[in-house]
Amino acid sequence: MIQAQGLTRRFGTRLAVDGLDLDVPRGEVFGFLGPNGAGKTTTIRMLAALIAPTSGSAIVAGHRLGEANREIRRRVGVLTETPGLYRRLSARDNLLFFARLYPVREPERQVERYLRLFELWDRRDEPAGSLSKGMRQKLAIARALLHEPEILFLDEPTAGLDPEAAKTVRDLIEALRSKDRTIFLCTHNLDEADRLCDRIGLFRTRMLAVGAPAALKKEMYGRRTVVHLASPSPGIEQALDLPFVTKVERLDDRLIVSLADPDAENPALVRRLVELGAEVRFVNELRVSLEDLYLDLMEGRDAKA
Amino acid sequence: MRRLRVLLFKEWRESLRNKMVVFGVVLLPLFLVGISVYMITLGEGIGDPTASIVMFNTSLMYFLLLPTIIPLAIAVYSIVGEKEQTTLEPLLATPISDLELFLGKALASVIPAVVVNWLSFGLFLAATRIVVGAVPLQALTAPWLASIFGLSPLLALFSVGVTMLVSSRASDARAAYQFSSFAILPGLVPLIVYSSKQTLVDLRLVVAEGAVLVVLCAVILYLAIRVFRREQILTRWK
Ligand SMILES: Nc1ncnc2c1ncn2[C@@H]1O[C@H](COP(=O)(O)OP(=O)(O)O)[C@@H](O)[C@H]1O
Ligand SMILES: [Mg+2]
Repeated sequence: MIQAQGLTRRFGTRLAVDGLDLDVPRGEVFGFLGPNGAGKTTTIRMLAALIAPTSGSAIVAGHRLGEANREIRRRVGVLTETPGLYRRLSARDNLLFFARLYPVREPERQVERYLRLFELWDRRDEPAGSLSKGMRQKLAIARALLHEPEILFLDEPTAGLDPEAAKTVRDLIEALRSKDRTIFLCTHNLDEADRLCDRIGLFRTRMLAVGAPAALKKEMYGRRTVVHLASPSPGIEQALDLPFVTKVERLDDRLIVSLADPDAENPALVRRLVELGAEVRFVNELRVSLEDLYLDLMEGRDAKA
Repeated sequence: MRRLRVLLFKEWRESLRNKMVVFGVVLLPLFLVGISVYMITLGEGIGDPTASIVMFNTSLMYFLLLPTIIPLAIAVYSIVGEKEQTTLEPLLATPISDLELFLGKALASVIPAVVVNWLSFGLFLAATRIVVGAVPLQALTAPWLASIFGLSPLLALFSVGVTMLVSSRASDARAAYQFSSFAILPGLVPLIVYSSKQTLVDLRLVVAEGAVLVVLCAVILYLAIRVFRREQILTRWK
């Protein structure tokens, strides 16, 4: 549904998105996870044919970006970062306006359908400005769905909502999951990505890692061993020369050793450390949560190396 | 062009719910018509036919100013309003074309400006007839009619173009308003000529101003169309 190759966008000299490769199949909920300023909104804007990439190419909903932009806009729905509703117009008039800009066959019926579905029907005649934040967000999501888009882009759908409203919106997104609808969910909320998405891409200007939440976690779980030393033993991390050790980090008197299979390799690791003169106090496994992984990546440390 | 119509009706629906816009589009013209009629009754009171005609002529000036003033409020709010409500991006995410967006925004202001101006003019003539008894037809000369019917759409277009350009750069309505007010200058030209030469506006002047306005409008609209592109709106606008 979304395929991008080397998608890049600069603003003057600032590189906002750098060589993004993406392949999101139909029906997937893809989480695009990154901190503020990572370039998530810029990516959505490029993929929804709102701004042009500086270089690179993409095929979105079967059409090539830059060649069939209007066709792409017809087939995708965008929930922008701010709900962006006409405050003075009623909830219904807001939706009707947008429904009529798309080729929606029966705008009134379609608007009613979504207002009822999102439990906004009773408030349909109230100006959008008088609705609660959560309702406005639901209204904005309804707006993005009116023309039954093949791809739904959601830019931080729960940012700025109170926990209760955020939960409502999250449940709503969960319910929107369908084999015919691809959802591209931008968020800086890890928990949200973990809960809602089939796959997650960790992104900061560049794609840092992509995978199913479980796979991303597994990639890290149990793959690092922490060796607590009784004395600092300076230089020992450089001296550690085992083939299966991919990385050694020091934290005070601890060594954090990355290896592929701790169950099999820990004994050899400890033996070698002792040979090198280390006084091992004890050894344990480093529990890495997705959150640690995320923070690692976001701080620019390359967790995979 | 179906989308253009959809956008126009949205603009008007929104404008009707905005007090500032309603003030500029309805109350201000009514106020000026009221003042005009009042001045004409004053002129009548003097009992000198030339005084009546001077008063009448001065009143006619309002109908060259109104088409530049009326669209200010609509145009400012239709652009700055979208920015303040952050509705531009969802709007740009629809299949609406850049040109449709531009035309929708421009016509949303130009059409009411011209229509309301002409309606005010009709109201003014009717009120003069009722209050004074007769419209001094000898004062309602061809140059005047040519100005009011020929120049006013151009004046409105110029004013709207300037306001749209200014509004794309401004982040609040008040600032946009202030910077856009100089768009009323072309409407003042006949007034200045009239009061300095002490003559009635003549047809050559109307044609000359019309020609200048056509050129000005072409330049302004060319610039505005360039500014009203998705890429520009999302990445350059303030
Ligand atoms: N119109 C613009 N002009 C200049 N820089 C921009 C513009 N839009 C975004 N940027 C920059 O690009 C980077 C990515 O921004 P953005 O896509 O909004 O990130 P995110 O949505 O992940 O928070 C930021 O450094 C931001 O300052
Ligand atoms: Mg963003």
